Amino acid sequence: MTPTPTTAVTNGTSRCVGVWFALPWLVGVIGLVVLPVVGSLCMSLLHWDGLSLTRDVEWVGLDNYREILGDDPLFAKALGNSLYYSLIGTPLVLAASLAVSVLLSRRLRGIGLFRTLFYLPHVLGGVATVLIWSWLFNPRFGPINAMLGWCFATVDPLVRLFGAEGSSSWPTPKWFYSPQWCKPALILMQIWSFGGAMLIFLAALQHVPRSLDDAAAIDGAGRWRRFRHVTLPHLTPAILFNLVTGLVFSMQAFHQAYLLTNRAQDDGLLFYVLYLYRCAFEPPYRVGYASALAWIFFVVVFVLVLLAVWSARSWVFYEGER
Amino acid sequence: MKAVDPNLRGLKPVLAAFAAKDRAVGEMLRYVLLIGIGGLVALPLIWAVLASLKPLDEVYAYPPTWSIKPVFGGQWSNYYQAATTLPLFRFLFNSTIITVCSVAGAVLTSSMAGYAFARLPWRGKRFWLVLLLASLMIPAQVLLIPRFLIFQSLGWVGTYKPLIVPAWLGGGAFNVLLFRQFFRSIPREVEEAALIDGASRWEIYRRIMLPMSKPAVIAAGLLSFVLHWQEFLDPLIYLSDFRTYPLSVGLRMYQSLAGVFGNLLMAAALIALLPVGVVFAVLHKHLAGGLRLGPGPSAAPPGDLLSDAVQ
Repeated sequence: MTPTPTTAVTNGTSRCVGVWFALPWLVGVIGLVVLPVVGSLCMSLLHWDGLSLTRDVEWVGLDNYREILGDDPLFAKALGNSLYYSLIGTPLVLAASLAVSVLLSRRLRGIGLFRTLFYLPHVLGGVATVLIWSWLFNPRFGPINAMLGWCFATVDPLVRLFGAEGSSSWPTPKWFYSPQWCKPALILMQIWSFGGAMLIFLAALQHVPRSLDDAAAIDGAGRWRRFRHVTLPHLTPAILFNLVTGLVFSMQAFHQAYLLTNRAQDDGLLFYVLYLYRCAFEPPYRVGYASALAWIFFVVVFVLVLLAVWSARSWVFYEGER
Repeated sequence: MKAVDPNLRGLKPVLAAFAAKDRAVGEMLRYVLLIGIGGLVALPLIWAVLASLKPLDEVYAYPPTWSIKPVFGGQWSNYYQAATTLPLFRFLFNSTIITVCSVAGAVLTSSMAGYAFARLPWRGKRFWLVLLLASLMIPAQVLLIPRFLIFQSLGWVGTYKPLIVPAWLGGGAFNVLLFRQFFRSIPREVEEAALIDGASRWEIYRRIMLPMSKPAVIAAGLLSFVLHWQEFLDPLIYLSDFRTYPLSVGLRMYQSLAGVFGNLLMAAALIALLPVGVVFAVLHKHLAGGLRLGPGPSAAPPGDLLSDAVQ
């Protein structure tokens, strides 16, 4: 036999050719990931405004962490807000995207149009859509409260019929101008861009073997049981993927909160990253403190991911490992 | 529908008729649901278009009206005004520069690293792979402050370098992983044949691997395009002169118009959305293919991207 191509490949190229290809990434990972991680860890042990290296640097050990965990009401508030947004919003987005992707999975005329339409909000994202939604949720001039008002107006005569109070007592939420409703509004906005998760589900749905579904149908399984016991198990890896990325991304939400936060909310949209940003980049520039905040954030996100992955052992089904 | 028992051969046409009717009803139901959801999804955008064309007194009419009159007799001058009140086209131009430069770097360097991880031998590859996966786990917020200090000490604050250079240094762990998975599914034989013909590794990467990975290139390109176009925090902390602002940060300045010129705000937001919409419309057909992580129809779905990290 001639030497197998594999050995020819390894012998024919020098051992370090991979390094050349990976060089930009290597520089990046060392200079912009490893070094900052080390730097951030060190900084979290300092009292420092980040402006001058010689003055105003004070080694304080774990004082920053102690202050955050023991003596910072805004930290608790910000963490609670982010967890609320992430833990309630992500499952809702998952449910919406799963339902829609199942609707889209079978061939149907014009399905491409719907797929494009549903994916569009996810791509558009960003500041422009936040501005549009802030207008939609405007308590007085926005269409959402107008529609709610119409609904109430329709319901109102019925309610009156049963002797309850009149229409003037129907309150519409003040959305971004209320401490209670600002986060639900943001979650509704998040659900609107379910397209990213949907795309992942659609790709995964193509890998559900049709034969299994047909076999179950022949055995007399109804639609729901086929979905529950044939389709859904095949989707669990995609659900895990969407769950983890969804949790991480929503924990990191920043621009929505930055743009929409106002005094009427009583810090209801003070998300963790917004708080971190304010500590670091607004006077009095507490760089060390913000670094400690970042590390606590890392631990929180990491624990969330670990919990998701750990729980996945009992509900994720990987083909070929029964 | 294959739910026909062979013993009931005589009933087959009857059952088939029922099945066809069942399917037609199901299809109808599905259309109704899809159109309903589609309406909900489209409504915010439709409202924005209507609002952007309204004269000022109608914008602040109470209760708000859903009249579609603006479409026909619309105040298109709102768009002109929105674009001239603030230097909107300047922002657009800045965003384009930043995004194009970043996406080019991200696709080039992440595909190179992906190739190195997928096919090339190099010292400590396993260690670097673990580091790659670990870097995926580290939230950008941890890196935010030290990166700022690094770029500050390099004198890059106020320039586009902190926004563009990181893209040229690896282009994001997710993209590297995407390319690695994709390259791994390309048969080794193709590469080996080229090697025997005397091609260098660079030529193989340039002439074979990249062209064969068009879906992955498009997916990574589109994802990083959206990412960089929408990036808000980085330009916010690195740029201070508003003439250098990209759209994301520039649009923030329109927010002060919200209570006064809501129609201009909507017009500006829609102008900002337009380029993303156009790029998406051109490329969206390829996106699902790229995310399937392989050239063939049987390639792994993206959910499996994580299984590598989990197992």
